[in-house]
Amino acid sequence: MSPSKKDNMLYVGIDLGTSRSVVSASNGNRKWVDSYVGWPKDFVAKKMLGKRVLFGSEALEHRLALDLSRPLRNGVITEGTERDEAAVHELIDHLVELAGAGPDDEVCIAVGVPAEALKVNKIAIKNAVAQHAKKLMVVSEPFSVAYGLGTLDNTMIIDIGAGTVDFCIMHGTVPAEEDQRSILFAGDYVDEQLLKLLSEKHPEADFSLNTVRRFKEKHGFVGDSKRRVKIEAPVDGKFTEFDITNEIRKACESPMPAIVETAIDLIASFDPEFQESVRNNIIVAGGGSQLTGLDSYLGEATRQFGPCNITCITDPLFAGADGALQLAMDMPEEFLEKL
Amino acid sequence: MNRHSDIKKTVLRGVYEDNVGIPRSCLGKGRSRSTGVPPRPVPHREYWRRPVLVLLGLVALFGISFRLVTVDGTGPVAMQVVDSHALQFPVFPLNVLAGAQDEHIAGGARTDGLVPFSAITTGQYDAMLAHLAIPMADLFNLKVQTIVIDPGHGGIDPGATGRQGLKEKDVVLDIARRLRDKLIGSGNYRVLLTREDDRKMFLKERVAFAKENRADLFISIHINALPPGAGNLNYVETYYFGPHTDQRSLELAKEENRDSDYLMGDFREVIARIGDTLKTEESKELASSIHERLYHSLKRRNRKLLDAGSKTGPFMVLLGVDVPSVLVEVSCISNKAEETRLSTPGYRDNVANYLKSGIVEYLEQRAQRRTIERGRTQHVAKQER
Repeated sequence: MSPSKKDNMLYVGIDLGTSRSVVSASNGNRKWVDSYVGWPKDFVAKKMLGKRVLFGSEALEHRLALDLSRPLRNGVITEGTERDEAAVHELIDHLVELAGAGPDDEVCIAVGVPAEALKVNKIAIKNAVAQHAKKLMVVSEPFSVAYGLGTLDNTMIIDIGAGTVDFCIMHGTVPAEEDQRSILFAGDYVDEQLLKLLSEKHPEADFSLNTVRRFKEKHGFVGDSKRRVKIEAPVDGKFTEFDITNEIRKACESPMPAIVETAIDLIASFDPEFQESVRNNIIVAGGGSQLTGLDSYLGEATRQFGPCNITCITDPLFAGADGALQLAMDMPEEFLEKL
Repeated sequence: MNRHSDIKKTVLRGVYEDNVGIPRSCLGKGRSRSTGVPPRPVPHREYWRRPVLVLLGLVALFGISFRLVTVDGTGPVAMQVVDSHALQFPVFPLNVLAGAQDEHIAGGARTDGLVPFSAITTGQYDAMLAHLAIPMADLFNLKVQTIVIDPGHGGIDPGATGRQGLKEKDVVLDIARRLRDKLIGSGNYRVLLTREDDRKMFLKERVAFAKENRADLFISIHINALPPGAGNLNYVETYYFGPHTDQRSLELAKEENRDSDYLMGDFREVIARIGDTLKTEESKELASSIHERLYHSLKRRNRKLLDAGSKTGPFMVLLGVDVPSVLVEVSCISNKAEETRLSTPGYRDNVANYLKSGIVEYLEQRAQRRTIERGRTQHVAKQER
C-alpha cells in the first residue's frame, strides 16, 4: 500500500458471483455467502424468522417462507430487475457488514462481477455499492482473478462460474471487449443436466436441483476415473443408495466442448505472434475449476490445436475477491481521489 | 520486474479510466438479458407523453401559465426563441409565453424581448432547433427501444464481390444477424432485421419496414469495394444523411441508391425531411460512436486499415427513414486480405461486436446525458423554489 494513503481507509474486495459472493478486506476479514437473498413473505414469516432479510444458506433453508432472489442468474441482473436490483443492494450491504468496517473507516471497494453483468449492469451495480464506499470501482471477475494472481500478460483466464463461463485474455492492459467471451454452459447448466439424467434413470427417487448441485460439488469429475460415485436419495421416504458415476461424468463433461471451442476461438483471434504464449498460460478459476481431472481433460481436448498448459487455481472461492482487494490497494492515490 | 511494474501501472490506469467515466449518481436501471425479439415494451403513447410532461414541467418551473398556439396552421407549438443569450442558457434554452401576458403582447411591441406566438414562423422554429444548447432528444427525454438493422443488398443483387468470390450480401447478412443477437443480449431492446435471408429488397421496402416497426434507430450495414485503379486500399467509413463531402461519397451514394424504387412523387415527400434537426444531430452522434469503435478496434488487428471518417452522404435509405440512421461501410472487400478476413466467422463476429459496442456506447452516453440533465433540472428547480 502506498504510504500516502490514509490510515483509516478500509480496502474491500468483493466477488459478486452468480452462486457465491465473497468479500476480502484489508483488515483480514474474509467471508463468503451463497448469492441468495430472501425477504419474509408476510408478517407471520417475519415474526417467525425475526429478520427483515436473510442471506445465503439461511435464506435457502427458509425458502418456503421467503420471497427468494438469486439476483445474478445467468451472470446478469435478470428480468424484472427491480427486485433483483434490490437484492443486489441487500447483498452488498451484507458483504460490507461482513467486511467489518468501523464507523470512522473510509471504505474503498473494488467489485468483481460476471463479465456479462459488467457490460449490461455496471451502473446498477455501481449504484448498489456507492452508498457504502467513498471510492469504488467495478471490474470483471476473470480480470480480478488475473490481477490477484499477477498474470497480467499473455494469459487466458477461464472462470467457470455458476451462471456463465467467462473467458478473458490478458495482454498487459485492461481487457477490451474482443478479449473476452462469455457462454452460458456453466455450473447451473451442469446441474440441470445432472438432474435430468438422474430423473430419467431413477424416476422413483426424489432429486432436486439443490441436491444434485451438492452431489456435483462433492463428487464432480471429468475424464476417466476408477472411483465409483455413490450417493443416497430418498425413495418413498426411505434413503436408498445409487451409483451415479456415469451420470455425473456425463453432466460435468456436457459444457466442455463449448468451453474448448470458445477458448480456442478466442486464442485464434489473438495476435498470432503471442498465441503460443497464451496457450502455455491458461488458468482455470471459479467453482468449476474444482472438478476432478479438469486440467488434464482440457489439456487433452485442446491438444489437437497445439500443446496447452492448463492450471486450475487452488483457492477459487477467494481468488476473485482477493484480486479485487489487491486492485483497490494498488490503485494510486491520484486515481482513487477521482473515483 | 520493471516490465511487470509497467504493465501493472497500465492496467491500473485502464481500470481507473473504465470506472471514472460513469457518473455515480446515475440512477438508470441496469439493462438485462433477454432472448428472442421482445414486444415493444412501452406503448406508443408514451412518446408524446414525455415531451408534454417535460414542457409542462418547464412551465411549472417558470411559474407561468401555459397555452398551446397553432403556428402557420401546422399544429400546436408551445415554445419559442427568446434571444441568443437565452439559447445559450445551459439548462432551459427555451421560454414559454404566458397566457397572462397576452394583453401585453397584443398591445404592441414587447419590452421583454419575447416574440409573440402569432409572429412565429417555421423558419424561426427551425432556427430555434438549430441553436439548441442541448440535443433535442435530451430536451424531450426520448428513449430508444426498437433498433432496425439493415443488411444491404440481397437476392439477385450481390452488392460488391471480392476477387475470391465473397459477396457483400452474404457478409453483411451474417454480421447483421450476429449484431442483432448481441444487441438483444446487451439490453432490453427490440432488434429487427430488414431481411432475415438472402432476398432482394428495394430501398423503399427497407424504409417502409423501419416505419412499420416504429424503429427508433436504423443501421444499414455495407461493405465497400474500390475500383481496380484504387490499389489495395482498405478503409472504414460511416455515413449519416447530408450533402456529399467528396466525389467518392457521391459516387458511392449513387451506387447504393441504384435500387431505390422511389417514384418522383415519393421523392418530393422524402426530400421534405431534409433539415430534420433531431434526426441529424442524433444520426451524427450515432455515426461517430459506431465509427470510432469500429475503426479503432479493427485497426488493432490490421495496421494498414485507413480511416475515411464519419461524414454526411446523400443516401436515399438514410433520408427515407424518419429516425436517427447511419450507413456503415465496414471495410473494403476489394482488398484481398480483407476479403479473406471477412470470410471467417470469427472476424465477422468481431465486427458485429465492434458495431454493437458503438451502438451501446451511443445509447449509454444518451442515458448519461439524460441523467445529468435530470439532475440539473432538479437542481435548478430547487434553487427556483
